[in-house]
Amino acid sequence: MMDTPAAPSKGRDAAARAELTEILVRTGDEDRAAFRELYVRTNAKLFGICLRICGEREAAADVLHDVYLTVWKRAGAYEPSRASPITWLATIARNRAIDWRRANGSRRTAPIEEAPEIADTAPLASETLIADEEAHSLHRCLDELDGNQRDSIRTAFFQGVTYAELAERVSVPLGTMKSWVRRGLARLRECLEA
Amino acid sequence: MTDIRTTDDLPDVSAAELALGVLDGDERAVALRRVLAEPGFAQSVEAWRGYLGQLFAVWPEVAAPEGVFERVERSIDAPHAVAAPSRPFWPAVAGLTSLAAAGLLVFVVARPPQAPLPVPAPVVVPAQPLLVASIAPTAKGAAIAAVYDPARGVLRVTAADTPAAGRSTELWVIGADKTPHSLGLLTPGGATSVTPALVARRQLAPGATLAVTIEPSGGSPTGLPTGTIVLKGDLSQV
Repeated sequence: MMDTPAAPSKGRDAAARAELTEILVRTGDEDRAAFRELYVRTNAKLFGICLRICGEREAAADVLHDVYLTVWKRAGAYEPSRASPITWLATIARNRAIDWRRANGSRRTAPIEEAPEIADTAPLASETLIADEEAHSLHRCLDELDGNQRDSIRTAFFQGVTYAELAERVSVPLGTMKSWVRRGLARLRECLEA
Repeated sequence: MTDIRTTDDLPDVSAAELALGVLDGDERAVALRRVLAEPGFAQSVEAWRGYLGQLFAVWPEVAAPEGVFERVERSIDAPHAVAAPSRPFWPAVAGLTSLAAAGLLVFVVARPPQAPLPVPAPVVVPAQPLLVASIAPTAKGAAIAAVYDPARGVLRVTAADTPAAGRSTELWVIGADKTPHSLGLLTPGGATSVTPALVARRQLAPGATLAVTIEPSGGSPTGLPTGTIVLKGDLSQV
């Protein structure tokens, strides 16, 4: 139920990521024991994603069920060379949760009570399952953006909301919000691809 | 079609916008069509998913409620139970007389399911009308037929051409929300019976389009179509 910040050593990070990759690949071979292990290692991260975007525990649990069912069916298509295992899994969770949110017409404007706060800055210690070499470039590039651009992009990512909802939340015209985000994304692209 | 850059000079970052999830309505539909039509655009969306994925590192963890994994396991094991119909299905379709059903039957009869048809026992008329679609090739190949029973939430599809090795054929619905939702993978070389996710089932209505794309083995890794459409057809009531 609580935040579980992780600050392990670099070596452990790499090992954890390699293990998770292997477990995900074995899940793709329909290995039930590997699938169970995958669930044990990743359910808190994926449920955290579903809970924040859905805003309700019951709905988030239903979405999480769909997420792991999808993972079971599609793990065979996972290509370790193209994405880290946690990014692949978390992207599925985020997209499923957003689908649920849009389908249910959720327009939550108040903060979600149950979901823990997200740290405002880059993680001081890299998180267990994300590769060290890639963990900081986006954070660094986000830090170079104007406040409005950075906050809007972060909110869009963590809340799974559209331009219309973003604009509504901070009471700016839709065009202004689009301008912030588009200019922010364009600058991010330059920074990331530099 | 409206130029999504409109009158201002904002840069075109629609791949990033799609990955971020800020688009809705027509803008999202336009971007999703570009994913299907432009391989470079699809790659760009995937690259952005990777960049943004770095933010998952700071996403707080919350332990999942008890029992979710057990539900997932039951769902994995359930298709066998779901696949055994409590009443004959294709004969129920055959009992219908509308033109749409007649057109569909050409496909059903010409492309029978692998398993022998069950003996036509009492035909139960469903409470909600069935939806059917003839899904025709956009270039070459054979058409397939789909029948959706809203009362049971089950979608049946006749046997499709087997995809190339290492590829899967995935069925999508594009309905009122104008965005593709996966209905599942087609069984290679045989008929398919699936219970699509609720989000996708909501889009299954008369007028909705069913489309088949060729995807990496196991289906689109992104949850959105990444391959070109090979078969397409609209749902109608019978």
